[in-house]
Amino acid sequence: MWLPIIGLALGIALGFLFSVEIPLGYVKYTAIAILAAIDTTLGGLRAQLEDRFDLMIFLSGFVVNASFAALLAGIGDLLGLDIYLGAVIAFSIRIFDNIGFIRRDLIARHMKGGR
Amino acid sequence: MPSETRSGRTPPLPVARWSAALGLVLALAGYLVVAQVRTEWQIRRTLRIPSTQLEELAFLLRDQERGRAALESQVGELRGRLAAYEKAAAEGRTAAAKISRDLQELRALAGITALVGPGITVELNDSTRPPRAGEDPNKTILHYSDIQGVVAELWAAGAEAIALNGERIVGTTGISCVGTTILSNTKRMAPPYLITAVGESRQLVRALRRPGGQVELLTAFGFPVKVTSHELVEVPAYRGTFRFEHASVEGKE
Repeated sequence: MWLPIIGLALGIALGFLFSVEIPLGYVKYTAIAILAAIDTTLGGLRAQLEDRFDLMIFLSGFVVNASFAALLAGIGDLLGLDIYLGAVIAFSIRIFDNIGFIRRDLIARHMKGGR
Repeated sequence: MPSETRSGRTPPLPVARWSAALGLVLALAGYLVVAQVRTEWQIRRTLRIPSTQLEELAFLLRDQERGRAALESQVGELRGRLAAYEKAAAEGRTAAAKISRDLQELRALAGITALVGPGITVELNDSTRPPRAGEDPNKTILHYSDIQGVVAELWAAGAEAIALNGERIVGTTGISCVGTTILSNTKRMAPPYLITAVGESRQLVRALRRPGGQVELLTAFGFPVKVTSHELVEVPAYRGTFRFEHASVEGKE
């Protein structure tokens, strides 16, 4: 159960240890990657809470969603349009949805556990 | 407890896998967030503006660079023009210097500047000899023609500037007779008459003293003439005005 927290700490530590300067042109992709990671994490958490976690779905979801979002951003760069915003919005909506579901799951659990 | 039911229903391995996967993704998320935050800090620290304004800045930069390129191309052209102007100015300066030199010479020639130089003075006075009985008294006084004669001889001998009793002899100066006095430059003059001439002293003196010359003539008639050489004489500037009411330069309006 501590692995996610350790992973997060490890990532943060790596971020501080290795000074990676993200080129300005790739800031969009970073934003998408961060959103994809958060989305995937919350999705995974929700799936776990609902007892239907599947590693393949989890990882493939992350990879495919992030890749497609990056593709959108790339197309957007080609066309000079902020198409990546679509991915950002989609991720954001999913994140909020997942948060909502996680909240409900946790409340439901708490009520059950309380009873 | 749900955890109990879940742990009972699912083997412990999936939980570990879930944790590991979640940890991996969270590590990536954490890494990216930190990297992004650091990048943003760096941008803010160095540029003092949030990165969201960078695109606008990039546009401005491109705009400025285009403007700069245009201005740089102008620099060459303007430098060329400047060089041309400088050349023209230098030519103008030499022309102006020449004109100014010419003007100085013309002023000196016209007599409106005081001139100094080696020269002589000639002092003339009426005859000290009392007129003999029955003799015309006019013969014992100096006439304007006597003065004119001396001045003409001085000019002929190469005098460069002449003044009569402190009045510069210029092109419009006449020496005429008004009653018992002589008029020159609208100034009435009475004896003694002092003629100052700038020029080569010895030559002037020799010309004046030549046999049959004006000085010999005046001396013969008993007029006191005193010719003195000087290392430095001063001829004052003409104090009158030049006025052309009727004359105009030919070929001009």
